[in-house]
Amino acid sequence: MACLSDDKILTYLDGEIKSIEQAIIRDHLLICPDCRRTTDSYAELHKILAQPVTSEPPAWLIPQIMKRIYPEIPKYTSIAALIAASFIFFVTWIYIYFDFSKNSLIKALQLTADSTSGWLVNIIKAISTIYNSVQAAFKACNAFLNMLLNIRLGGTMIIAFALAFSGLVLSILIRLLLKKPGAEK
Amino acid sequence: MILDEDQVLIKKTLKGEKKAFEELMRKYEKKIFNFVIRMVRNEEVAIDLTQDFFIKIFTVLDKYNFEYKFSTWAYRICYNLVIDHIRKNQAQVNSLDDDSISTKDMLSSDNVTRDDGFKNLSREETRIYIWKIVEHIAPKFRELILLRYIQDLKYEEIAEITALPVGTIKNRIFKAKEILKQEMEKDGLPV
Repeated sequence: MACLSDDKILTYLDGEIKSIEQAIIRDHLLICPDCRRTTDSYAELHKILAQPVTSEPPAWLIPQIMKRIYPEIPKYTSIAALIAASFIFFVTWIYIYFDFSKNSLIKALQLTADSTSGWLVNIIKAISTIYNSVQAAFKACNAFLNMLLNIRLGGTMIIAFALAFSGLVLSILIRLLLKKPGAEK
Repeated sequence: MILDEDQVLIKKTLKGEKKAFEELMRKYEKKIFNFVIRMVRNEEVAIDLTQDFFIKIFTVLDKYNFEYKFSTWAYRICYNLVIDHIRKNQAQVNSLDDDSISTKDMLSSDNVTRDDGFKNLSREETRIYIWKIVEHIAPKFRELILLRYIQDLKYEEIAEITALPVGTIKNRIFKAKEILKQEMEKDGLPV
């Protein structure tokens, strides 16, 4: 048998040769030192390649990818609380700013208190007092800001509220879009 | 349909479980990073490409077909990402198919050359040296050696990933081994 080609030796080492041919090659290797040397060197190379030298990826890699995939967004509960708080603030502000107290809830409460007695009167009076204090403080702030900025506070407040509200809605939408795998970013 | 470990993690990820995707990444992080770093030969670029790969996987996870092995699908995406990068930055990548550059020149930049001409290397040093040579052979051989030995894939799986016929893959891996052997003999390595 003629000497083995490198291709033949590599196929033999890969175990992809029929058993009869394998036996012929084995016999040849027993009597041919040149082919045996080449086969041994390829076998050694195969062993070395089968034990790759590996590098460790940096420890921060996965946390960083996680941050990019799942950005920190306020939880639903905090978003809902913010929306509720903004809404209450907005209603309260309209109530105070337009001075509805003269003929609405506070007036009604005061009238109720006048014709009632006992603990309910004290509660209504307390609410009324707090409300009046807030109203007074608000009006003072309003006047101060008007003086400083020379614009109507009402418009500023409405814009601020609209911005805050749209920001919240947007953050909910972003959260819904980003949370799902498969969402295009 | 019986799901394997990877597919269970994918299902959980698709349901919104963060931990499941983290586990999937931890499983493949080292293999992917080692494949990429040996292909691009630049740690910073390898880190960026590994990140891009996992983000891409997450982005298209809902398109994964559960009839196929996740690893093959993922490696194909990684392979395409790396090949695209190499094509775009070809000018910066030298390899042994460039006749103007000798192996020793390239390896000297990696501080693996020795005054004694490599004759007295220990087995561990030989292993490191050979893997350094792998990093410098032409990409068309290197990618297959890496897929075969770093990712530990079968010829058929490599064929699915690279879209090359199994025969071509075998021939190229054989050729790569011949190149490695020649390089080692040239440097007087005891193989």
